[in-house]
Amino acid sequence: MSVLMAVVGKDLQLAWRNRAGWLSAMAFATIAVLTYSFAFDLATGDVRPLLPGVLWTTFLFAGVFAAGQSFQDEVDDGTFDALLLSPVDPTVIFIGKLVANLIALLIIEFAQLILATILFDVGLLTPQLLGIVLIGTIGYVSLTTLLATMGGHVRGRSVLMPVLALPLLIPLLIGAVRATGASLGLEAGTGPWMLLLMVFAAWSTLAAVLLFPTAVEQ
Amino acid sequence: MTTEGGGTAVPAIDARALTRQYGGVTVVRGIDLTLPAGSKTALLGSNGAGKTTLLKMLSTLLTPTSGTFWIQGHKVPSPRVARSIGVLGHSPMLYEDFTPLENLRFFARIYEVPDAEARIEELLRRVGLWLRRHEQTAILSRGYHQRLALARALIHSPAVLIADEPETGLDPEGVALLDEMALAAPGLSVLAATHRIDHIDAWATGVVRLERGRVVEDTSSVASLAEGATA
Repeated sequence: MSVLMAVVGKDLQLAWRNRAGWLSAMAFATIAVLTYSFAFDLATGDVRPLLPGVLWTTFLFAGVFAAGQSFQDEVDDGTFDALLLSPVDPTVIFIGKLVANLIALLIIEFAQLILATILFDVGLLTPQLLGIVLIGTIGYVSLTTLLATMGGHVRGRSVLMPVLALPLLIPLLIGAVRATGASLGLEAGTGPWMLLLMVFAAWSTLAAVLLFPTAVEQ
Repeated sequence: MTTEGGGTAVPAIDARALTRQYGGVTVVRGIDLTLPAGSKTALLGSNGAGKTTLLKMLSTLLTPTSGTFWIQGHKVPSPRVARSIGVLGHSPMLYEDFTPLENLRFFARIYEVPDAEARIEELLRRVGLWLRRHEQTAILSRGYHQRLALARALIHSPAVLIADEPETGLDPEGVALLDEMALAAPGLSVLAATHRIDHIDAWATGVVRLERGRVVEDTSSVASLAEGATA
């Protein structure tokens, strides 16, 4: 447990000190939400049907571009090799990265929910919607963290990452968008979509935890 | 491998038929190597001879295509091996956004070093970084990076040090420090790749020379036996 805390603490500290990448993701997400708000005719139309798509495309792109950064820094500095040489279980290394990425992305997403609430005049800060965002984020951060590891030594990885990640994330995107829509009252009941979202989040987290040791060995 | 009986000491490194291929190209070919405990072996060879690949395999960073090896009597892979090895590689393997103190504190925690603060202070003083322990690692010179990397590699008091051109970036004072703390340190088994032939007399008890991925000269065991006989 002490080793896990050391690894998680190190990743959070590095994410804070090396926050340029996360600030870029925050800036991208803010600009995206602002642009959508200008593009839609807020005075005459009901924008609620568009909001789930607006939110999740923004979250997903911000996450996909930023999540690989922390791994890349470790690979470039050789510290990832130092971790692999140490007695630390690879699963602990993965959990450290996952927690740091998750916290940084949740902060970005929460800020965007506040911004969207103001710009679109729709109540988005409900416990149900926050739960959907949390579960969806766990699902896609697990997968993007794993893919960032696998692509750590590949040339053109910044292009490869979205190309690999986005098709794999389609089931999550569908579940998250529909569950968000249901929580905004656009369709009846969030149950089935929440179930899809939870199953995908559990599957991607489990798959990432199990595959990570093999991915780093390669 | 002899691990018991007859009073034979467990070798620090014992490799059998180690081979590594990259995409069909064989870089290391069936290397057999036995480095006695406490021996200091210089790994020599021209560029592309396979030194770095061999060291990466022995430090467990790279899986051999075929072959087996033991570190301190533990067959690799083994969870016990990580605590036995210290690695000083091409890259210093340090967190540039951390200070030297934070770097060593982190590595001490993951290796679960007992009485870590005292060990960290001892190492930082020895490598000459105690007064700069709160500065960001990124602003340190190449030589100080290498000194800090040496402290990182030794933080958990490993039994075996695997080093790839450890003199890189060090001034004469730094090289003397490297000899004193690592290469010539009593009790520590060392396998270090180097191009500084003029320097190996200062620390090496034996030599292994590679050519095109094969061992063409190996005096590592011979030198140690001779040393043992005269001791």
